[in-house]
Amino acid sequence: MSLSIYNARLLDPASGLDETGAILIDRGKIKEIANGQTEPHADATNTIDAAGLCLAPGLIDLRVKTGEPGIEQKETLATASRSAVAGGITSFVVMPDTRPVIDDMALVRFVADTARANASARIYPAGALTTGLDGNAMAEIGLMAQSGAVLFTNGDMPVANASILKRTMAYAASLGASIMSRPDERSLSGSGVMNAGELAGRMGLPGIPVEAEWIGAMRDTALAEATGCTLILDQVSTPRTVAIAMEARKRGAKVFTTAAAHSFFFNELDVGDYLTYCKVNPPFRDEETRLGLIDALKNGLIDAVVSAHDPQPPEEKRLPFGEAAFGAAGLETVLPAMLSLVHDGPLSLLEALAPITCRPADMLGLPQGRLAKNAPADVILFDPGKPWLCEREHLRSRSTNSPFDGRRLQGRVLRTFVGGEEVFAHASLA
Amino acid sequence: MNRAAYHYSFDHEHLLSIEGLSPLDITHILDLADRYAEATRAGIRPDPVLKGKVVVNLFFENSTRTMSSFEIAARRLGADVISMPVAASSVKKGETLIDTAMTLNAMKPDALIVRHSASGGPKLLSRKVDCAVINAGDGTHQHPTQGLLDTLTIRRTKGRIEGLKVVICGDIAHSRVARSTTQALHLMGAEVHLCAPRTLLPSGTETWGAASATTDFDKALKGADIVMMLRLQLERMDGAFLPSRREYFSYFGLTKDRLALAKPDATVMHPGPMNRGIEIESAIADGEQSVITEQVEMGVAVREAVLHLLAGGPA
Repeated sequence: MSLSIYNARLLDPASGLDETGAILIDRGKIKEIANGQTEPHADATNTIDAAGLCLAPGLIDLRVKTGEPGIEQKETLATASRSAVAGGITSFVVMPDTRPVIDDMALVRFVADTARANASARIYPAGALTTGLDGNAMAEIGLMAQSGAVLFTNGDMPVANASILKRTMAYAASLGASIMSRPDERSLSGSGVMNAGELAGRMGLPGIPVEAEWIGAMRDTALAEATGCTLILDQVSTPRTVAIAMEARKRGAKVFTTAAAHSFFFNELDVGDYLTYCKVNPPFRDEETRLGLIDALKNGLIDAVVSAHDPQPPEEKRLPFGEAAFGAAGLETVLPAMLSLVHDGPLSLLEALAPITCRPADMLGLPQGRLAKNAPADVILFDPGKPWLCEREHLRSRSTNSPFDGRRLQGRVLRTFVGGEEVFAHASLA
Repeated sequence: MNRAAYHYSFDHEHLLSIEGLSPLDITHILDLADRYAEATRAGIRPDPVLKGKVVVNLFFENSTRTMSSFEIAARRLGADVISMPVAASSVKKGETLIDTAMTLNAMKPDALIVRHSASGGPKLLSRKVDCAVINAGDGTHQHPTQGLLDTLTIRRTKGRIEGLKVVICGDIAHSRVARSTTQALHLMGAEVHLCAPRTLLPSGTETWGAASATTDFDKALKGADIVMMLRLQLERMDGAFLPSRREYFSYFGLTKDRLALAKPDATVMHPGPMNRGIEIESAIADGEQSVITEQVEMGVAVREAVLHLLAGGPA
C-alpha cells in the first residue's frame, strides 16, 4: 500500500521548499519527495490529485488542554484528537492540569495509552512540574520523562516561589528535561480578567497588566540562565516579552517562546459586550501589542505558535464575564488564524507554517513536522483560500467555546494523514 | 419645538448603561422625572401607568436604599412589585444568574431591576429575557439611574448642566457611580473633573468624558460649581490602596476650608451611604450647600420616569 499525492504545492518550512510536486507515502513514512512532478508516482497503489491544494507537514501543537482524566465533560483525548485532525494538527502536547493532575508515571502512561487507543492524532503528555501543581514540591520529572512525558509545566498556575522553581529547573536541566512556564506574576495579575487598560477601566473589570507577564518572563529567564535549563515561555502576549526572551538567549540561555494563535487575530476590543468566549489568559491585548506580536513572529522571534486549546463547557462560560472560566477552544482555528496573516500580507506561507510545524518539532526533538525522506507521513492537504464561516456548532471539540464563532475565515484543511493513514477528510470530499 | 424633538421617541429596550443614551434621551427622562418630582411634592398621585404590570427587584448584592427607591417608584406608578434579595436565596444553591433569569422570565414580568456584583451581569441577563432590564448597579461598571438622578439634582439646583464645573472625588477606580455620572454629565455639557489618590484613579477616564483626572483635590476644587464626594470602602484604606483613613482625609476629605476653594455657591453631593469624617465632614454633609437628601428624593423620581418609559409605554 503506497500513496502518491501529486500536483500539490509542496510547502516545507524546514527546507524552504515551496513548489509544485508530489510525495510518495509508504509504510507510514514519506518515501520520496519529487519536486516539479505533476503526475502520480507510477508504482503507487493509491493516488490523489492535489491540484490547487497545498501539501504541508501536519501541524504540531505544544499546548492543548483536555479534561481527561477527570473532567471529561470538557473534552476527552479522543474528542480533542478529532478536533485536532480536522484542524490539520497531527501531533499535540496535552497539559497536566487534569483531575488528578498528571504528576506521576502511571498517569503519564494512562494518557499515552488512552491516546494511542482512542485518538488518531499523536498525543504527547506533559508532566506536572510540581506535585498536584501545588507549586511546593518537585514532581518525579525523571520517572515521568522515562514514561513518555515530553516536557514539564505547572500549567496555568506558574510556580510562585522562585526558589522552588530554581531548584526544579536545576534538577530538570540535569536530566535534559524541558520546562514550559507561563510568565505571569500572579500577585499582579491574580484578580484580573481582561487586558488592563482604558477599556477594562470603562467596563469595570479588573485588568491583567502587561507588567505581570514581563516580570514573570524576567524571573523565569534569569533562572533558566542560572540553571542551564531549557525553558519554553508559554503563550507570550507582548513583543516586549519576546525581547526579554531574546536577551536571555543572547546571553546563552536556552529559552524559547510560544504564542497562542488567537493572540495574532484578536485584540481587547473583541471582548465587546462582555463576551466570555473572548476571555482567555493571557488576555487579548491592545491593537498596538497585537501588531507588535505579529512583527515578532514575522521576524522569526517567536519559536512556536500554539492553539492554547482550552475547552470549557457552557456552564463555565454562560456567566458574568468576571466569573466565567478562562479558555478557548482552538484546535480547528490555528491554521486559519495563521493563514489570515498570509492573506493580510505580513507573512509568507512558509513563515506562517514554520512555527506550527518544524520549529515545535525541533523543540521536542520529534522527527515529524517536515517533508523529508523517511520522516513520518504526517501531512495535510489544505486549500489556503477556501472561505468558510466558523460556527461553533460545527466545531468538533466537545466544548465549542471559540472566539472565532461567527467569524468568516479563509483556509481550510481538506485531508489529514497521520503515519500515512487518512484520519480526516473534509465533508466536501465525500 | 424643534424638529429633532418633534420626531423624538424613546426607543430603548433596557437601561443598562449611560453609554448608548443620547442627550435627547437624557433630557426626556429628566423632564419626565421632574414632573414626577413635582407631583410628589404637591401630593398628587401620578397616573397608574404601570397598573397590572409586574416589576421584579432582583438584587444579587445587598442594598436597602436602591431597592427601596425602585420599589417606591414602581408602586407609585401602580405596579405590582416583588423584591427578591437573591443574595440570600437560590444563588447559594448553585443556581447561575442565567438560570435565575430564565426562571423569572418564564413568569412574564414586565421589568427586571437587577443589581449584581459582576460587571456586565445585567447585560448578560438582558440577552436571556423578554422584558425590560434596568441595571441597578453592576460591579464596578455602571449605575445608570444614579447618573441620571445626579444629573437631575444638578439641573434642578443650578437650572442648567451645560458649562458647569463638576468635581468628583473619591474611589473612582471602583465606583460605578463615577462612571455613570461622569458620562451623563459629560453628555449634557458639563465639565467633569475626577480626583482620587493615584491608586484609585484608573487610566483612560477621558473616554468616560472626563475633562481631567488629578490627584490634587485643592487644585481641582478651584471654581467648582459642584463637588461630589464618593464613598470610600473602608477596607481599601488599610494599607492596600491607601496608608490610612486619616491620611486620606488629610488629602481628600471635604472640609469647610477646602470647600471654600470652590465657588461660593458650590453644591455638595454624595451618592451615599456616607463615611462621615472620612470623606466628608458632617457639618458639610448636613450644611446648606448640601443636596444629599434631594439626591435621594430625585432617585425615586428618576426611577419612576425610567420605569414609565421602559415598561409603561410612551410618556
